[in-house]
Amino acid sequence: MNAIVEMKNLNKFYGSHHVLKNIDLSVERGEVVVVLGASGSGKSTLIRCVNGLEMYQNGSLLVDGYPMPVEEDRRLGGESELAAIRKGVGMVFQQFNLFPHKTVVENITIAPMRVRKKTRAEAEATALKLLDRVGLTEHAHKYPGQLSGGQQQRVAIARSLAMEPHLMLFDEPTSALDPEMIGEVLDVMRELARDGMTMMIVTHEMNFAREVADRIIYIDQGSILEVGKPDAFFDNPQNERARSFLARVLKH
Amino acid sequence: MIARSLKWTRHNLFGKPFDVLLSLTVIPGVLWMVYQAVSWALTAARWDIIPQSLRVLMIGVFPADQAWRAWIAIVIIAILLGAALGCVFAFKGRHAGALVPVWAGCAALAGIENVTNVLLIAVTIAAFAGGWAVASRFPPVRKALVPASFIGLIAIFAVMAPPGAGLWGGLLLSILLTLVTAVLSLPIGILLAFGRRSRFSGLRWICTGYIEVMRSVPLIMVVYWIWILIPVLTPQFNLADVVRGMIGFTLFYSAYVAEYVRSGLQAVPRGQTEAARSLGMSEFDINRSIVLPQAIRVVVPPLVGNVLDIFNMAPLVFIIGLTDFLRAGQMILANPQFGDRTYEVYSFLFLTYFLVGSLITFVARKLEAHLARGSR
Repeated sequence: MNAIVEMKNLNKFYGSHHVLKNIDLSVERGEVVVVLGASGSGKSTLIRCVNGLEMYQNGSLLVDGYPMPVEEDRRLGGESELAAIRKGVGMVFQQFNLFPHKTVVENITIAPMRVRKKTRAEAEATALKLLDRVGLTEHAHKYPGQLSGGQQQRVAIARSLAMEPHLMLFDEPTSALDPEMIGEVLDVMRELARDGMTMMIVTHEMNFAREVADRIIYIDQGSILEVGKPDAFFDNPQNERARSFLARVLKH
Repeated sequence: MIARSLKWTRHNLFGKPFDVLLSLTVIPGVLWMVYQAVSWALTAARWDIIPQSLRVLMIGVFPADQAWRAWIAIVIIAILLGAALGCVFAFKGRHAGALVPVWAGCAALAGIENVTNVLLIAVTIAAFAGGWAVASRFPPVRKALVPASFIGLIAIFAVMAPPGAGLWGGLLLSILLTLVTAVLSLPIGILLAFGRRSRFSGLRWICTGYIEVMRSVPLIMVVYWIWILIPVLTPQFNLADVVRGMIGFTLFYSAYVAEYVRSGLQAVPRGQTEAARSLGMSEFDINRSIVLPQAIRVVVPPLVGNVLDIFNMAPLVFIIGLTDFLRAGQMILANPQFGDRTYEVYSFLFLTYFLVGSLITFVARKLEAHLARGSR
């Protein structure tokens, strides 16, 4: 079995609101999956389930070989798998969520030191290597508030990579950025994809999606309506609602 | 120059008809009061009572031959307060210069004929300046401030205890009570604040109940209750009134600290916790290293305000028979030979409270500016 994420008949509710409906989805190692959909369709919720930031009520979810507990089990304290899963799954947020009271290097080293018990020297060496990779070596000792949005998001990517994840989740990583900074973040993500990182991406950047995705998932009102190769999806969508979604977002 | 001040006066004091009316009534009134106060202070008042009773005002009925113990306590407090100031306010050469007149003022008050006291005041001020300079020049020292203040307070207790804790009093008692309460209520308040957010409902109810009960009753009653309860609960220990008073103050103010900290915890965006969780950090690490530092940063100004509040509430310990600064002043006046010096003594009390309070407010403002610079 080569799937890193395997969702079977997964359901999620907010109270009586049915947010994710009977989701079946598997993501192969090394695959880049882009999740598209209108706002409120459940696409962010879907990828937030993968590292347990959102709880699901029934169905099953296997991440990196570990079963993600359902909500009832988590409320009863069955969270041991959660820590194991999160160690191997990185996440990049729309609002960056860097720790404002820590420098760039401290942001990147804190988790490897606390979670993976690395020494400070080891963790800092890795951090500097990662900062070089995202092109921010000279900002290593600044605070997040001194960086532009694009730079902060690249630091956030480096922070996730420092945990050596097997899977990276991106939750609208460029939606909070000024247009001129979107490119620098997408470049870093492109490079990650080229290096063979498994990625699940929620984005509104259609050209980027078409370029990097191995597979597009279209989701609407909590159901997966279409799964396909990027070219097939963008040029010839099968589903009626996917067609009208594409017509809306590709108009400009 | 004169033209400018005339213009300023016309603009600010006599700009509109109402301003004219206000200025014509308020300015002469204020001038008259200032004149009365100054002329009383310089001619009628007999200030010799202050140096004569200074020891009682400062340390209450603590025995005179044991005063060296109080001096050690004062020097330790000076170092700690200096170091605390140094964390937020850089020490410069001109500050050292400004401390010389402070020393001269204190020495004049204590009576310059007493050479020992003049020297000890110099040592105290030097200790304050030393703590200030070290903490501002060597930032790593600041991390040791919290453990250092615990050790300092324990040392003060150890050195002050032998003559009997029942003898503590005066301004020293007020300051000690404030320091102990401030230092102890912080960790307790933080634990209560986290407890109130706990997902274990039992713990949550206990913490919420504690905080709400403490905030719904008067301080003076909590202090009195603790004072009468402790001998019943722990008959074998026979704790001194001072310690019982400190426990009462700490238990009461912990609830307030908890509420301040809780408001700070709520101000930390959800995304911070989510990001830390997504990195696999444990809830304990997240709370300690990510959430708490950001929360404390937000609530430092109200927490310092809380310290001022504690200091100003300290006179209430008279209810359990302690002699704090205010009470010490009243004790002096109870002495028949000083019965006519009420205004001198109360003026001194007023000025001292005002100076200490202003100092705390000043530190709070510096702290706020310091934090604003750090967060950006």
